[in-house]
Amino acid sequence: MMTDIPEAEARPAPPQEFADAAIGAMDDVYRFARSLTRDPSDAEDVVQDTYLRAFRSWHTFQPGTDIRRWLFTIARNVFLRSRERGQREVTLDDEASAVAEASQAQEAWVRGGLDPILDRADLGPAIIEALAALPETFKTVVTLVDLEDQPYEAAAEVLGIPVGTVRSRLFRGRKLLQERLAQHARDAGLIPAVPSRSPA
Amino acid sequence: MTHDHSPHDHKARCEAALEQLFDFLDGELDDSLEAELKVHVERCKPCFDRADFERRFLEVIATARAEERCPKALKDRVIATLRAQGLQA
Repeated sequence: MMTDIPEAEARPAPPQEFADAAIGAMDDVYRFARSLTRDPSDAEDVVQDTYLRAFRSWHTFQPGTDIRRWLFTIARNVFLRSRERGQREVTLDDEASAVAEASQAQEAWVRGGLDPILDRADLGPAIIEALAALPETFKTVVTLVDLEDQPYEAAAEVLGIPVGTVRSRLFRGRKLLQERLAQHARDAGLIPAVPSRSPA
Repeated sequence: MTHDHSPHDHKARCEAALEQLFDFLDGELDDSLEAELKVHVERCKPCFDRADFERRFLEVIATARAEERCPKALKDRVIATLRAQGLQA
C-alpha cells in the first residue's frame, strides 16, 4: 500500500530533538494507523509513509505544538491517499448513529455485563479486540480521544470533521465498545449469563 | 442546576446531565457548565452512578493503550529508512 512519495530533495535533516520526539511517538502513530486500517500490514505501510513524509517536511512543524497531532494528521492523509484516489470515504450516517441511543433496557444490559468486570486487570486484550471490530468511523475517534488523550478539537482537526461529529461518533463508538465488552464478559463466563440480551 | 423545584425539573436536569456526561468526563465543558453538572451529579444518585460507571469505563479503555505498541521490526525498519534519508541517529 506504499504511496508514491517524491524522492528526497536536498533538504537539511531535521534536528535531533525533533527526530527523537517524532520517533518517540511511533507507538501512538501505529495505534492510530491501526484504527484507520483493517489490515496490520496496511497500518505498517501507513506508519512508514507517515515518517518518510514527516521527515521530509519537518520544517512545516510548528515548534511548541503537539507533534503527535501533526503526525496523526499526516498519517490520515497518507491513509486517504493510499485508498483509491478520489474514492469517497466510507462514512456512516453520524446523525442517525447519534440518535440511536441505547434504550434503558440496553443500558441496563450493558452495565450489568460491564460493571462487575471493570476492575479486572486482564481486560486489555478484550478491549483491543473490541476496538478493532468497531467500524472505522468510530474507531478512529475513540482511538484519538480515549487512547491518545486528544481533545475533541484536536481529533476534529486530525480527521477533518466538525467537533460535533467527533462528539456524536465518540458517543456511539463508546456505546458500541461497551456492548461488545459486555457480550465478551458474558461469553467468557466472567459474569453469570442472562437468558436474553437487548442489543441487536 | 442547583435547585430542583419539582420531579419534572429534576428529570429534565438528569436528562441534560446525561446528555453532557461525556463532555463532562472528558473535560470539554466550560467552567460554569462543568461546575453546574458536578453539583447535580454529586446530589443525584442515579446520575452519580451513571457517571461513576462511565468514568471507570473510560479509565479502563485508556489502559488498553499499553496493549498495542508498534512492532519492534517496524520501528527498526522506519529508523533504517530515515537514516537512509539523512537522519543522524
